[in-house]
Amino acid sequence: MMKPMRVDDILNNNVWDVDYEPHIRVDSSKCRECDEKPCLLLCPAQCYTLAGEEVLFSYEGCVECGTCRLVCPNDAVTWNYPVSGRGIHFRFS
Amino acid sequence: MKEVGYKFDVIVVGAGPAGSAAAYTLAKKGFKVLLVERGRVPGSKNVFGGRVYADPVGEVFDGLDGAPIHRWVTRERISLVSGGEMSSFEFRGSKRTSFTTYLTELAGWMARKVEEAGGVVLTEITVDGLVVEGGRVTGIRVGDERLTSDVVIDAEGINRLLLERAGLVPKLSVRHTGLGVKEVIKLQRDRLEDLFGLEGDEGMAWLMLGDVTDGLPGGAFLYTNRDSVSLGLVIALGDAVKEVGRHVSRYVEALRLHPLLRRYLRDGRIMEYSAHLVPEYTWPDLPHLLYTDGLLVAGDAAGLLLNLGYNFRGVDFAAYSGYLAARAVERAHEMGGMTSENLAIYRDLLEESFVLRQLRKFRRAPRMRENRRLYGAYPGLVNAIMDQLFNSPYETPKVMEALRRAREGRIGWLEMVRDLLEMVRSV
Ligand SMILES: Cc1cc2nc3c(=O)[nH]c(=O)nc-3n(C[C@H](O)[C@H](O)[C@H](O)COP(=O)(O)OP(=O)(O)OC[C@H]3O[C@@H](n4cnc5c(N)ncnc54)[C@H](O)[C@@H]3O)c2cc1C
Ligand code: SF4
Ligand code: SF4
Repeated sequence: MMKPMRVDDILNNNVWDVDYEPHIRVDSSKCRECDEKPCLLLCPAQCYTLAGEEVLFSYEGCVECGTCRLVCPNDAVTWNYPVSGRGIHFRFS
Repeated sequence: MKEVGYKFDVIVVGAGPAGSAAAYTLAKKGFKVLLVERGRVPGSKNVFGGRVYADPVGEVFDGLDGAPIHRWVTRERISLVSGGEMSSFEFRGSKRTSFTTYLTELAGWMARKVEEAGGVVLTEITVDGLVVEGGRVTGIRVGDERLTSDVVIDAEGINRLLLERAGLVPKLSVRHTGLGVKEVIKLQRDRLEDLFGLEGDEGMAWLMLGDVTDGLPGGAFLYTNRDSVSLGLVIALGDAVKEVGRHVSRYVEALRLHPLLRRYLRDGRIMEYSAHLVPEYTWPDLPHLLYTDGLLVAGDAAGLLLNLGYNFRGVDFAAYSGYLAARAVERAHEMGGMTSENLAIYRDLLEESFVLRQLRKFRRAPRMRENRRLYGAYPGLVNAIMDQLFNSPYETPKVMEALRRAREGRIGWLEMVRDLLEMVRSV
């Protein structure tokens, strides 16, 4: 039976080899000044979340699409691919 | 920087369809080829919608002998969705022109072909930069090591970080990009065949336009694989940045739970969730960069993808451009070196091939796709007409009457005529 699912539960079907170091860094001081915060709705893996006024970023569930790099209006995102085979490992896409 | 002693004739960055096609073609011709891929295995970073046109890819890869083909698309369905209503057009044929698969599998297969042909495939290596010396690309940089070659073929995909870092192209803009999000949902094979009316290895491609994207330019898709479906959508990122109304994963979820779709997916189980960007250049901007001294660019990195709104051609365009890049290298080699002048033949080859001919022919399609009425007014209009024609037991209207009523408050005559003309000219 298909039920409504939280993003986290959907993501749980994926496989990652998470790196020790984040491959993406976010300058949270810029986020505080950011009005629109498009990353919150447009990061497909919901790596960007709001805790009160603060934007929290976690790189672990990243599917490496590159969206946040493009949509951030304030150049707050220093974006890179994970190193040496780390990160998302797609099998059926 | 450390120089790695061994020198290759050609280094290809990225083992997607473009990179593997280039590497395979050159390895077969006896060039010393290195194909570098950041994923653990080739394919593990690749995402697409679901359907590949066979002939162009087969031309490059030995008629696709042994390729991971799931189903041959013999059913094409296009639906206009508004609210709980949907009007569909369906074509059913028997020709085997395109097939469904997982790009992860297909790219893995392509890279194995490269190895069989004698190319070296290095995985788990993220290339950090192109080495540019005196305006000429002479190799790649990985950490503090440097590998040199006569020519580099850049097939790094849409996020062309290497080209941007080398200052060869501007930063990718949301205006030229679409965001694709998809779920792959496991179904029992016989159940899937029953539900979609498929026999044997027949498959279906289903495209949906309308409020499935909340009226944003884009569309939703469903492809039947062997024992799963790929369900997702692509939205124009430039518009989404300003107007996205809910988390993007919710759009796919809404599809999965949609009253008109959920019966297909009821017994399904999500196998994977993925997202990827698509190039959506308009003609004057395209192609961005195809070659320079010591460098060729193929596939998504060069924006070579055809999106007609009702059909998506990226994999075959990428593979074929990779193949033509390889042929350009061969010709430049004969002409005496990998200079920009000699490599310019790549552009000619692309122009002569279906790749740039098709992109040129459909250069107005991106403009047409920006027309919001395609995603709001028209699906609503068509469904309202159908509703009147079939749900008026006593006072069935004439078609024109139904159109007039359906049109009211939705769209003006003049607008409609203009849109129709634009559509005819574009696609
Ligand atoms: C949602 C969606 C639906 C689509 N649907 C279809 C469809 O149905 N049919 C179709 O034909 N096309 C479709 N496409 C388009 C298609 O996926 C692409 O056009 C095609 O994959 C492009 O191939 P490519 O080889 O250029 O790039 P990619 O497939 O992106 O391959 C690039 C490769 O380079 C590697 N790489 C990148 N950077 C580095 C680096 N620095 N170092 C080492 N390796 C690197 C990546 O890991 C990757 O393997 C779709 C795309 C999306 C996003
Ligand atoms: S869009 Fe950029 S600046 Fe704004 S909240 Fe997100 S990461 Fe921060
Ligand atoms: S790359 Fe994509 S998945 Fe990763 S954090 Fe950015 S938007 Fe999210």
